[in-house]
Amino acid sequence: MLSEWDYQAVFLTLKLAVSATLILLVISPPLAWWLSHSKRFYRPFIEALVALPLVLPPTVLGFYLLISFSPDSLLGGFWLSLTGDHLAFSFSGLLIASLIYSLPFVVQPLQSAFVNLDKGYLEVAATLGFNPVETFLRVIFPMVLPSFIIAAALGFAHTIGEFGVVLMIGGNIPGETQVLSIALFDHVETLQYRQAHFLAFSLLAFSMLLLMLIYGVLQKRQKRLYHA
Amino acid sequence: MLKFNLLKPQPFLHFQGELPLQGACAVFGDSGAGKTSFVRALAGLDTGFSGFLNCQGKAWQNEGVFIKTEKRNIGMVFQEPRLFPHLDVQGNLQLACIKAKNSLYSIKQLAELLDFSALLSKKSHQLSGGQKQRIAIARAILTAPDLLIMDEPLSSLDQHSRALLLPFIKTLSQQIPLLYISHSMQEIFYLCDQMVLINQGKIEAIGSPQALFLDARLSLVKHAHSGLLLSVESLSWDAQFSLVHGFVDGQAVVLAQEKKSRETRLQIKVESKDVIIATERFNLSSLQNCLSVTIEAIEPLSVNSALLTLTIGRQKLLAKITMKSLNELKLKKNQSVFAYIKALSILGDTL
Repeated sequence: MLSEWDYQAVFLTLKLAVSATLILLVISPPLAWWLSHSKRFYRPFIEALVALPLVLPPTVLGFYLLISFSPDSLLGGFWLSLTGDHLAFSFSGLLIASLIYSLPFVVQPLQSAFVNLDKGYLEVAATLGFNPVETFLRVIFPMVLPSFIIAAALGFAHTIGEFGVVLMIGGNIPGETQVLSIALFDHVETLQYRQAHFLAFSLLAFSMLLLMLIYGVLQKRQKRLYHA
Repeated sequence: MLKFNLLKPQPFLHFQGELPLQGACAVFGDSGAGKTSFVRALAGLDTGFSGFLNCQGKAWQNEGVFIKTEKRNIGMVFQEPRLFPHLDVQGNLQLACIKAKNSLYSIKQLAELLDFSALLSKKSHQLSGGQKQRIAIARAILTAPDLLIMDEPLSSLDQHSRALLLPFIKTLSQQIPLLYISHSMQEIFYLCDQMVLINQGKIEAIGSPQALFLDARLSLVKHAHSGLLLSVESLSWDAQFSLVHGFVDGQAVVLAQEKKSRETRLQIKVESKDVIIATERFNLSSLQNCLSVTIEAIEPLSVNSALLTLTIGRQKLLAKITMKSLNELKLKKNQSVFAYIKALSILGDTL
Protein backbone atom coordinates (compact mmCIF):
# COMPACT_ATOMS: atom_id res chain seq x y z
CA MET A 1 0.00 0.00 0.00
CA LEU A 2 2.83 2.41 0.88
CA SER A 3 5.10 3.52 -1.90
CA GLU A 4 8.86 3.39 -1.83
CA TRP A 5 8.81 7.11 -1.12
CA ASP A 6 6.66 6.55 1.90
CA TYR A 7 9.09 4.00 3.32
CA GLN A 8 11.90 6.44 2.64
CA ALA A 9 9.95 9.07 4.54
CA VAL A 10 9.46 6.70 7.49
CA PHE A 11 13.15 5.85 7.54
CA LEU A 12 14.21 9.48 7.18
CA THR A 13 11.84 10.60 9.93
CA LEU A 14 13.18 7.98 12.33
CA LYS A 15 16.78 8.85 11.45
CA LEU A 16 16.07 12.52 12.06
CA ALA A 17 14.23 11.91 15.34
CA VAL A 18 16.82 9.48 16.70
CA SER A 19 19.76 11.75 15.82
CA ALA A 20 18.05 14.84 17.22
CA THR A 21 17.06 13.05 20.44
CA LEU A 22 20.55 11.66 21.03
CA ILE A 23 22.20 15.03 20.49
CA LEU A 24 19.61 16.76 22.68
CA LEU A 25 20.23 14.26 25.49
CA VAL A 26 23.85 15.41 25.53
CA ILE A 27 23.17 19.16 25.29
CA SER A 28 20.12 19.42 27.55
CA PRO A 29 21.22 18.07 30.97
CA PRO A 30 23.94 20.69 31.55
CA LEU A 31 21.69 23.43 30.14
CA ALA A 32 18.75 22.32 32.30
CA TRP A 33 21.01 22.11 35.36
CA TRP A 34 22.28 25.62 34.74
CA LEU A 35 18.74 26.95 34.21
CA SER A 36 17.52 25.32 37.40
CA HIS A 37 20.38 26.57 39.60
CA SER A 38 21.83 29.75 38.11
CA LYS A 39 21.18 33.05 39.82
CA ARG A 40 22.67 35.17 37.01
CA PHE A 41 20.62 38.13 35.85
CA TYR A 42 20.57 36.88 32.25
CA ARG A 43 19.13 33.48 33.13
CA PRO A 44 15.53 34.52 32.25
CA PHE A 45 16.78 35.65 28.83
CA ILE A 46 18.37 32.26 28.12
CA GLU A 47 15.33 30.47 29.52
CA ALA A 48 13.01 32.48 27.25
CA LEU A 49 15.25 31.78 24.26
CA VAL A 50 15.10 28.04 24.93
CA ALA A 51 11.32 28.11 25.39
CA LEU A 52 10.63 30.27 22.33
CA PRO A 53 9.80 27.38 19.95
CA LEU A 54 6.91 26.47 22.28
CA VAL A 55 4.99 29.63 21.45
CA LEU A 56 6.41 30.87 18.15
CA PRO A 57 4.58 29.88 14.93
CA PRO A 58 6.85 27.24 13.35
CA THR A 59 6.86 29.25 10.14
CA VAL A 60 8.48 32.19 11.93
CA LEU A 61 11.22 29.97 13.26
CA GLY A 62 11.51 28.34 9.84
CA PHE A 63 11.76 31.69 8.12
CA TYR A 64 14.63 32.92 10.28
CA LEU A 65 16.38 29.59 9.98
CA LEU A 66 16.03 29.73 6.20
CA ILE A 67 17.61 33.17 6.18
CA SER A 68 20.50 32.10 8.40
CA PHE A 69 21.04 28.92 6.37
CA SER A 70 21.66 30.89 3.19
CA PRO A 71 25.30 30.73 2.03
CA ASP A 72 25.50 34.55 2.29
CA SER A 73 24.72 34.49 6.00
CA LEU A 74 27.19 33.82 8.81
CA LEU A 75 25.99 30.31 9.71
CA GLY A 76 25.29 29.16 6.16
CA GLY A 77 28.63 30.54 4.92
CA PHE A 78 30.53 28.93 7.75
CA TRP A 79 28.84 25.57 7.08
CA LEU A 80 29.63 25.85 3.36
CA SER A 81 33.31 26.53 4.00
CA LEU A 82 33.42 23.70 6.55
CA THR A 83 31.61 20.95 4.64
CA GLY A 84 31.19 22.26 1.12
CA ASP A 85 27.43 21.74 1.43
CA HIS A 86 24.41 23.99 1.70
CA LEU A 87 22.40 23.90 4.89
CA ALA A 88 19.06 24.83 3.42
CA PHE A 89 17.11 21.92 1.91
CA SER A 90 19.54 19.37 3.40
CA PHE A 91 19.33 16.73 6.12
CA SER A 92 21.95 18.58 8.18
CA GLY A 93 19.86 21.74 8.05
CA LEU A 94 16.81 19.78 9.07
CA LEU A 95 18.72 18.27 12.00
CA ILE A 96 19.90 21.68 13.23
CA ALA A 97 16.35 23.01 12.99
CA SER A 98 15.03 19.95 14.85
CA LEU A 99 17.54 20.51 17.66
CA ILE A 100 16.29 24.05 18.08
CA TYR A 101 12.56 23.40 17.95
CA SER A 102 12.67 20.27 20.11
CA LEU A 103 15.08 21.70 22.66
CA PRO A 104 12.42 23.03 25.09
CA PHE A 105 10.61 19.67 25.08
CA VAL A 106 13.77 17.99 26.36
CA VAL A 107 15.06 20.78 28.61
CA GLN A 108 11.83 21.49 30.47
CA PRO A 109 11.17 18.02 31.99
CA LEU A 110 14.82 17.84 33.04
CA GLN A 111 14.77 21.34 34.46
CA SER A 112 11.71 20.63 36.56
CA ALA A 113 13.25 17.33 37.71
CA PHE A 114 16.40 19.16 38.81
CA VAL A 115 14.41 21.89 40.56
CA ASN A 116 12.42 19.28 42.48
CA LEU A 117 15.49 17.26 43.40
CA ASP A 118 16.04 17.60 47.14
CA LYS A 119 19.41 19.24 47.74
CA GLY A 120 19.77 17.05 50.80
CA TYR A 121 20.55 14.05 48.62
CA LEU A 122 23.44 15.93 47.02
CA GLU A 123 24.81 16.70 50.47
CA VAL A 124 24.61 13.03 51.37
CA ALA A 125 26.47 12.20 48.15
CA ALA A 126 29.23 14.65 49.14
CA THR A 127 29.57 13.05 52.59
CA LEU A 128 29.87 9.67 50.84
CA GLY A 129 32.93 11.11 49.07
CA PHE A 130 31.46 11.70 45.60
CA ASN A 131 32.66 14.65 43.51
CA PRO A 132 30.07 16.49 41.37
CA VAL A 133 30.51 14.24 38.31
CA GLU A 134 30.26 11.05 40.39
CA THR A 135 27.25 12.54 42.18
CA PHE A 136 25.55 13.16 38.84
CA LEU A 137 26.25 9.66 37.53
CA ARG A 138 25.61 7.69 40.71
CA VAL A 139 22.83 9.70 42.37
CA ILE A 140 21.18 12.39 40.27
CA PHE A 141 20.87 10.47 36.99
CA PRO A 142 19.34 7.31 38.50
CA MET A 143 17.02 9.42 40.66
CA VAL A 144 15.64 11.42 37.75
CA LEU A 145 15.82 8.60 35.20
CA PRO A 146 12.04 8.69 34.58
CA SER A 147 12.36 12.38 33.71
CA PHE A 148 15.19 11.59 31.31
CA ILE A 149 12.95 9.06 29.56
CA ILE A 150 10.09 11.57 29.47
CA ALA A 151 12.42 14.21 28.01
CA ALA A 152 13.74 11.82 25.38
CA ALA A 153 10.23 10.64 24.45
CA LEU A 154 8.89 14.18 24.14
CA GLY A 155 11.88 15.31 22.09
CA PHE A 156 11.55 12.26 19.84
CA ALA A 157 7.80 12.62 19.36
CA HIS A 158 7.98 16.33 18.74
CA THR A 159 10.71 15.91 16.13
CA ILE A 160 8.55 13.34 14.35
CA GLY A 161 5.53 15.61 14.48
CA GLU A 162 7.02 18.90 13.28
CA PHE A 163 5.69 20.23 9.99
CA GLY A 164 5.93 24.00 9.64
CA VAL A 165 9.66 24.42 10.17
CA VAL A 166 10.46 21.47 7.90
CA LEU A 167 8.30 22.90 5.16
CA MET A 168 10.12 26.24 5.37
CA ILE A 169 13.71 25.00 5.40
CA GLY A 170 13.59 21.43 4.12
CA GLY A 171 11.24 21.52 1.22
CA ASN A 172 10.13 18.18 -0.03
CA ILE A 173 13.08 16.17 -1.31
CA PRO A 174 12.41 12.42 -1.00
CA GLY A 175 15.18 10.63 0.89
CA GLU A 176 16.75 13.92 1.96
CA THR A 177 14.14 16.12 3.60
CA GLN A 178 10.75 14.55 2.97
CA VAL A 179 9.60 13.47 6.43
CA LEU A 180 6.34 11.72 7.36
CA SER A 181 4.28 14.83 8.05
CA ILE A 182 5.26 16.25 4.67
CA ALA A 183 4.57 12.94 2.90
CA LEU A 184 1.11 12.94 4.49
CA PHE A 185 0.50 16.45 3.19
CA ASP A 186 1.58 15.29 -0.26
CA HIS A 187 -0.89 12.39 -0.22
CA VAL A 188 -3.74 14.66 0.75
CA GLU A 189 -2.87 17.17 -1.94
CA THR A 190 -2.84 14.43 -4.57
CA LEU A 191 -6.08 12.93 -3.12
CA GLN A 192 -4.41 9.63 -2.11
CA TYR A 193 -6.65 9.28 0.93
CA ARG A 194 -5.88 5.60 1.63
CA GLN A 195 -2.20 6.30 2.17
CA ALA A 196 -3.00 9.54 3.95
CA HIS A 197 -5.28 7.68 6.37
CA PHE A 198 -2.63 5.09 7.02
CA LEU A 199 0.14 7.62 7.74
CA ALA A 200 -2.11 9.90 9.77
CA PHE A 201 -3.46 7.08 11.92
CA SER A 202 0.02 5.65 12.48
CA LEU A 203 1.30 9.01 13.70
CA LEU A 204 -1.80 9.47 15.87
CA ALA A 205 -1.53 6.04 17.48
CA PHE A 206 2.20 6.41 18.05
CA SER A 207 1.83 9.81 19.70
CA MET A 208 -1.08 8.65 21.83
CA LEU A 209 0.79 5.59 23.09
CA LEU A 210 3.87 7.62 23.90
CA LEU A 211 1.92 10.22 25.86
CA MET A 212 0.06 7.51 27.76
CA LEU A 213 3.38 5.96 28.70
CA ILE A 214 4.60 9.33 29.94
CA TYR A 215 1.52 10.29 31.92
CA GLY A 216 0.55 6.82 33.09
CA VAL A 217 3.88 5.33 34.08
CA LEU A 218 6.85 7.64 34.00
CA GLN A 219 5.45 10.67 35.79
CA LYS A 220 4.14 8.48 38.58
CA ARG A 221 7.52 6.84 38.94
CA GLN A 222 9.29 10.16 39.14
CA LYS A 223 6.84 11.38 41.76
CA ARG A 224 7.36 8.25 43.79
CA LEU A 225 11.09 8.83 43.74
CA TYR A 226 10.66 12.35 45.04
CA HIS A 227 8.25 11.52 47.81
CA ALA A 228 9.74 8.27 49.03
CA MET B 1 42.35 18.08 66.91
CA LEU B 2 39.94 20.45 65.18
CA LYS B 3 40.81 24.14 65.41
CA PHE B 4 38.42 26.68 64.06
CA ASN B 5 37.37 30.29 63.95
CA LEU B 6 34.47 30.55 61.54
CA LEU B 7 32.34 33.62 61.05
CA LYS B 8 29.17 34.35 59.12
CA PRO B 9 27.47 37.75 59.21
CA GLN B 10 23.93 36.90 58.12
CA PRO B 11 22.47 35.22 60.19
CA PHE B 12 25.20 35.95 62.73
CA LEU B 13 27.24 32.87 63.58
CA HIS B 14 30.65 32.71 65.19
CA PHE B 15 32.26 29.39 66.02
CA GLN B 16 35.66 29.57 67.64
CA GLY B 17 37.49 26.91 69.58
CA GLU B 18 39.35 23.62 69.63
CA LEU B 19 38.03 20.11 69.86
CA PRO B 20 40.03 16.97 70.49
CA LEU B 21 39.05 14.30 67.98
CA GLN B 22 38.56 11.60 70.55
CA GLY B 23 35.53 9.80 71.92
CA ALA B 24 32.10 11.33 71.76
CA CYS B 25 31.61 15.07 71.98
CA ALA B 26 28.12 16.43 72.50
CA VAL B 27 26.85 19.56 70.77
CA PHE B 28 24.17 21.07 72.95
CA GLY B 29 22.06 24.21 72.79
CA ASP B 30 18.54 25.55 72.44
CA SER B 31 16.57 25.09 69.23
CA GLY B 32 17.83 27.59 66.70
CA ALA B 33 21.04 28.26 68.64
CA GLY B 34 23.15 27.09 65.70
CA LYS B 35 24.05 23.47 66.48
CA THR B 36 23.28 22.22 62.98
CA SER B 37 24.96 25.27 61.41
CA PHE B 38 28.07 24.48 63.46
CA VAL B 39 28.42 20.90 62.26
CA ARG B 40 27.52 21.87 58.69
CA ALA B 41 30.32 24.45 58.74
CA LEU B 42 32.75 21.77 59.95
CA ALA B 43 31.59 19.38 57.22
CA GLY B 44 31.97 22.03 54.51
CA LEU B 45 28.29 21.86 53.60
CA ASP B 46 27.84 25.57 54.24
CA THR B 47 30.07 27.77 52.11
CA GLY B 48 29.05 31.11 53.63
CA PHE B 49 31.67 31.17 56.41
CA SER B 50 34.91 33.12 56.50
CA GLY B 51 37.81 32.39 58.84
CA PHE B 52 39.77 29.20 59.22
CA LEU B 53 39.28 25.54 60.01
CA ASN B 54 42.12 23.10 60.61
CA CYS B 55 41.84 19.37 61.08
CA GLN B 56 44.85 17.49 62.48
CA GLY B 57 47.08 20.35 61.31
CA LYS B 58 45.66 20.27 57.77
CA ALA B 59 43.90 23.40 56.51
CA TRP B 60 40.32 22.65 55.54
CA GLN B 61 39.43 26.28 55.16
CA ASN B 62 41.18 29.65 55.24
CA GLU B 63 41.39 32.72 52.97
CA GLY B 64 42.66 30.75 49.98
CA VAL B 65 41.62 27.20 50.76
CA PHE B 66 38.31 25.39 50.85
CA ILE B 67 38.47 21.62 50.96
CA LYS B 68 35.18 20.30 49.67
CA THR B 69 33.01 18.03 51.78
CA GLU B 70 33.84 14.97 49.68
CA LYS B 71 37.54 15.40 50.49
CA ARG B 72 37.10 15.84 54.26
CA ASN B 73 36.20 12.22 54.94
CA ILE B 74 33.44 13.09 57.36
CA GLY B 75 30.56 10.71 57.95
CA MET B 76 27.26 12.44 58.53
CA VAL B 77 23.94 11.29 59.89
CA PHE B 78 21.43 14.02 59.15
CA GLN B 79 18.32 14.70 61.22
CA GLU B 80 16.26 13.07 58.48
CA PRO B 81 17.52 9.71 57.19
CA ARG B 82 17.89 10.89 53.55
CA LEU B 83 18.11 7.40 52.09
CA PHE B 84 18.23 7.43 48.31
CA PRO B 85 14.69 6.58 47.17
CA HIS B 86 15.67 4.84 43.93
CA LEU B 87 17.78 2.23 45.70
CA ASP B 88 16.98 -0.53 48.15
CA VAL B 89 18.74 -0.73 51.50
CA GLN B 90 21.55 -2.88 50.13
CA GLY B 91 22.06 -0.44 47.23
CA ASN B 92 22.17 2.54 49.58
CA LEU B 93 24.80 0.85 51.72
CA GLN B 94 26.89 -0.31 48.75
CA LEU B 95 27.00 3.25 47.46
CA ALA B 96 28.64 4.28 50.74
CA CYS B 97 31.33 1.59 50.36
CA ILE B 98 32.55 2.76 46.94
CA LYS B 99 34.85 5.47 48.24
CA ALA B 100 35.53 3.96 51.66
CA LYS B 101 38.99 2.79 52.64
CA ASN B 102 39.31 0.25 55.45
CA SER B 103 35.83 0.35 56.85
CA LEU B 104 35.62 -1.00 60.40
CA TYR B 105 32.46 -2.93 59.65
CA SER B 106 30.99 -4.77 56.69
CA ILE B 107 27.38 -4.34 55.56
CA LYS B 108 26.61 -7.78 56.97
CA GLN B 109 28.08 -7.01 60.40
CA LEU B 110 26.18 -3.74 60.67
CA ALA B 111 22.98 -5.43 59.52
CA GLU B 112 23.31 -7.82 62.43
CA LEU B 113 24.42 -5.25 64.99
CA LEU B 114 21.66 -2.81 64.06
CA ASP B 115 19.08 -5.48 63.39
CA PHE B 116 18.17 -4.79 59.76
CA SER B 117 19.28 -8.02 58.04
CA ALA B 118 15.67 -8.67 57.03
CA LEU B 119 15.34 -5.23 55.41
CA LEU B 120 18.23 -5.32 52.92
CA SER B 121 16.01 -5.75 49.88
CA LYS B 122 13.42 -3.17 50.96
CA LYS B 123 13.08 0.28 49.44
CA SER B 124 13.23 3.38 51.57
CA HIS B 125 9.47 4.03 51.37
CA GLN B 126 8.76 0.57 52.82
CA LEU B 127 10.65 1.33 56.03
CA SER B 128 9.61 2.97 59.29
CA GLY B 129 11.36 6.10 60.55
CA GLY B 130 13.42 4.13 63.05
CA GLN B 131 14.47 1.57 60.47
CA LYS B 132 15.52 4.30 58.04
CA GLN B 133 17.59 6.05 60.68
CA ARG B 134 19.40 2.84 61.63
CA ILE B 135 20.32 2.36 57.98
CA ALA B 136 21.40 5.99 57.64
CA ILE B 137 23.73 5.45 60.61
CA ALA B 138 25.10 2.26 59.03
CA ARG B 139 25.64 4.14 55.78
CA ALA B 140 27.67 6.87 57.51
CA ILE B 141 29.80 4.25 59.32
CA LEU B 142 30.49 2.37 56.07
CA THR B 143 32.24 5.42 54.58
CA ALA B 144 35.03 4.77 57.13
CA PRO B 145 35.06 8.41 58.25
CA ASP B 146 37.77 10.13 60.30
CA LEU B 147 35.00 11.97 62.11
CA LEU B 148 31.37 10.98 62.43
CA ILE B 149 28.77 13.70 62.88
CA MET B 150 25.30 12.81 64.10
CA ASP B 151 22.54 15.41 64.15
CA GLU B 152 19.92 14.32 66.69
CA PRO B 153 19.94 10.78 65.34
CA LEU B 154 17.66 9.37 68.01
CA SER B 155 15.20 12.22 68.48
CA SER B 156 12.50 10.76 66.26
CA LEU B 157 12.98 7.12 67.12
CA ASP B 158 10.91 4.49 68.86
CA GLN B 159 12.04 2.88 72.10
CA HIS B 160 13.30 -0.28 70.36
CA SER B 161 15.58 1.62 68.00
CA ARG B 162 16.87 3.88 70.78
CA ALA B 163 17.64 0.96 73.04
CA LEU B 164 19.48 -0.73 70.20
CA LEU B 165 21.42 2.31 69.06
CA LEU B 166 22.62 4.01 72.24
CA PRO B 167 24.96 1.25 73.47
CA PHE B 168 26.12 0.72 69.89
CA ILE B 169 26.95 4.41 69.46
CA LYS B 170 28.80 4.30 72.78
CA THR B 171 31.00 1.44 71.51
CA LEU B 172 31.41 3.19 68.17
CA SER B 173 32.66 6.38 69.84
CA GLN B 174 35.68 4.43 71.10
CA GLN B 175 36.55 3.60 67.47
CA ILE B 176 35.59 6.76 65.54
CA PRO B 177 35.58 10.31 66.97
CA LEU B 178 31.99 11.44 67.24
CA LEU B 179 30.23 14.79 67.25
CA TYR B 180 26.78 14.22 68.64
CA ILE B 181 24.04 16.84 68.51
CA SER B 182 21.34 16.13 71.05
CA HIS B 183 18.63 17.72 73.14
CA SER B 184 18.64 14.85 75.57
CA MET B 185 20.66 15.27 78.77
CA GLN B 186 20.20 11.56 79.27
CA GLU B 187 21.93 10.68 75.99
CA ILE B 188 24.69 13.20 76.53
CA PHE B 189 25.54 12.03 80.06
CA TYR B 190 25.56 8.45 78.85
CA LEU B 191 27.66 8.93 75.70
CA CYS B 192 29.83 11.98 75.91
CA ASP B 193 32.81 13.08 77.94
CA GLN B 194 33.12 16.39 76.10
CA MET B 195 30.49 18.93 75.24
CA VAL B 196 30.28 22.03 73.06
CA LEU B 197 27.68 24.45 74.30
CA ILE B 198 26.19 26.68 71.61
CA ASN B 199 24.13 29.70 72.48
CA GLN B 200 22.79 32.37 70.10
CA GLY B 201 25.06 31.41 67.23
CA LYS B 202 28.24 31.25 69.29
CA ILE B 203 30.23 28.65 71.14
CA GLU B 204 29.71 29.53 74.77
CA ALA B 205 31.86 26.84 76.35
CA ILE B 206 33.61 23.54 75.77
CA GLY B 207 34.07 21.10 78.65
CA SER B 208 32.71 18.03 80.35
CA PRO B 209 28.90 17.79 80.39
CA GLN B 210 28.74 17.62 84.21
CA ALA B 211 30.89 20.73 84.57
CA LEU B 212 29.01 22.73 81.94
CA PHE B 213 25.56 21.89 83.27
CA LEU B 214 26.65 23.08 86.71
CA ASP B 215 28.44 26.24 85.66
CA ALA B 216 26.15 29.02 86.82
CA ARG B 217 27.70 31.51 84.41
CA LEU B 218 26.50 29.59 81.39
CA SER B 219 23.15 29.70 79.65
CA LEU B 220 22.82 26.01 80.43
CA VAL B 221 22.12 26.49 84.08
CA LYS B 222 18.44 26.92 83.33
CA HIS B 223 18.37 23.32 82.11
CA ALA B 224 20.11 22.18 85.26
CA HIS B 225 17.67 24.06 87.52
CA SER B 226 15.12 21.44 86.75
CA GLY B 227 17.46 18.72 87.96
CA LEU B 228 20.54 16.67 87.38
CA LEU B 229 21.29 13.09 86.53
CA LEU B 230 22.91 10.76 89.03
CA SER B 231 24.32 7.41 88.23
CA VAL B 232 23.49 4.56 90.58
CA GLU B 233 25.83 1.57 90.73
CA SER B 234 26.10 -1.94 92.16
CA LEU B 235 22.42 -2.65 91.83
CA SER B 236 20.75 -5.50 93.66
CA TRP B 237 17.14 -6.62 93.52
CA ASP B 238 14.86 -6.86 96.52
CA ALA B 239 12.01 -9.15 95.54
CA GLN B 240 10.04 -8.72 98.79
CA PHE B 241 9.33 -5.01 98.25
CA SER B 242 10.00 -4.75 94.49
CA LEU B 243 12.93 -2.46 95.07
CA VAL B 244 16.37 -1.93 93.66
CA HIS B 245 19.20 -1.23 96.07
CA GLY B 246 22.20 0.66 94.77
CA PHE B 247 24.86 3.20 95.57
CA VAL B 248 25.44 6.81 94.57
CA ASP B 249 29.10 7.55 95.16
CA GLY B 250 29.14 4.94 97.91
CA GLN B 251 25.94 6.01 99.63
CA ALA B 252 23.03 3.57 99.63
CA VAL B 253 19.77 4.41 97.88
CA VAL B 254 16.63 2.45 97.13
CA LEU B 255 14.57 2.80 94.00
CA ALA B 256 11.09 1.47 93.43
CA GLN B 257 10.99 -0.63 90.28
CA GLU B 258 8.29 -3.00 89.11
CA LYS B 259 10.44 -5.74 87.70
CA LYS B 260 13.94 -7.00 88.03
CA SER B 261 16.42 -5.45 85.62
CA ARG B 262 19.60 -7.05 84.34
CA GLU B 263 21.50 -3.78 84.39
CA THR B 264 24.18 -3.17 86.96
CA ARG B 265 24.08 0.57 86.58
CA LEU B 266 21.34 3.08 85.85
CA GLN B 267 20.70 6.78 85.80
CA ILE B 268 18.16 8.65 87.83
CA LYS B 269 16.97 12.20 87.45
CA VAL B 270 16.35 14.19 90.59
CA GLU B 271 14.45 17.43 90.15
CA SER B 272 15.86 20.26 92.25
CA LYS B 273 12.43 20.92 93.80
CA ASP B 274 12.28 17.32 95.03
CA VAL B 275 15.35 17.64 97.27
CA ILE B 276 14.77 18.43 100.94
CA ILE B 277 17.63 19.79 103.03
CA ALA B 278 18.00 18.88 106.70
CA THR B 279 20.76 19.67 109.16
CA GLU B 280 19.99 16.52 111.17
CA ARG B 281 18.73 13.10 110.18
CA PHE B 282 14.98 12.52 110.57
CA ASN B 283 14.23 9.71 112.96
CA LEU B 284 10.86 8.78 111.58
CA SER B 285 9.75 9.57 108.10
CA SER B 286 8.57 7.88 104.95
CA LEU B 287 11.50 9.29 103.01
CA GLN B 288 13.74 6.44 101.95
CA ASN B 289 16.70 8.17 100.39
CA CYS B 290 19.02 10.36 102.36
CA LEU B 291 22.42 11.43 101.12
CA SER B 292 25.08 13.06 103.17
CA VAL B 293 26.30 16.04 101.12
CA THR B 294 28.37 19.20 101.27
CA ILE B 295 27.03 22.57 100.13
CA GLU B 296 29.27 23.71 97.33
CA ALA B 297 27.43 26.87 96.31
CA ILE B 298 24.39 28.91 97.20
CA GLU B 299 22.87 31.26 94.67
CA PRO B 300 19.63 33.19 94.73
CA LEU B 301 17.15 32.24 92.01
CA SER B 302 14.45 34.80 92.75
CA VAL B 303 13.32 36.99 95.66
CA ASN B 304 12.08 33.99 97.60
CA SER B 305 14.07 30.99 96.40
CA ALA B 306 17.67 29.83 96.20
CA LEU B 307 19.52 27.06 94.44
CA LEU B 308 22.02 24.93 96.37
CA THR B 309 24.70 22.94 94.60
CA LEU B 310 25.49 19.86 96.70
CA THR B 311 28.49 17.58 96.36
CA ILE B 312 27.88 13.91 97.05
CA GLY B 313 31.26 12.52 96.09
CA ARG B 314 32.10 12.75 92.44
CA GLN B 315 28.54 13.64 91.53
CA LYS B 316 26.45 16.68 92.23
CA LEU B 317 22.89 17.38 93.19
CA LEU B 318 20.85 20.57 93.02
CA ALA B 319 18.27 21.64 95.58
CA LYS B 320 15.81 24.46 95.22
CA ILE B 321 14.70 25.80 98.61
CA THR B 322 12.99 28.94 99.86
CA MET B 323 14.94 31.92 101.16
CA LYS B 324 13.07 31.50 104.42
CA SER B 325 14.44 27.96 104.91
CA LEU B 326 17.89 29.12 103.88
CA ASN B 327 17.87 31.74 106.63
CA GLU B 328 16.22 29.63 109.32
CA LEU B 329 18.62 26.72 108.79
CA LYS B 330 21.54 29.18 108.56
CA LEU B 331 23.02 27.25 105.63
CA LYS B 332 26.53 28.18 104.54
CA LYS B 333 28.99 27.17 101.89
CA ASN B 334 31.04 24.02 102.71
CA GLN B 335 28.54 23.01 105.41
CA SER B 336 27.67 19.30 105.64
CA VAL B 337 23.95 18.60 105.49
CA PHE B 338 21.52 15.81 104.63
CA ALA B 339 19.68 15.78 101.33
CA TYR B 340 16.42 13.84 101.35
CA ILE B 341 15.12 12.87 97.95
CA LYS B 342 11.35 13.11 97.80
CA ALA B 343 10.93 11.82 94.26
CA LEU B 344 13.08 10.69 91.40
CA SER B 345 12.65 9.19 87.99
CA ILE B 346 14.57 6.26 86.60
CA LEU B 347 15.79 6.83 83.07
CA GLY B 348 15.47 4.08 80.49
CA ASP B 349 16.48 0.66 81.75
CA THR B 350 18.98 0.45 78.93
CA LEU B 351 21.22 3.01 80.54
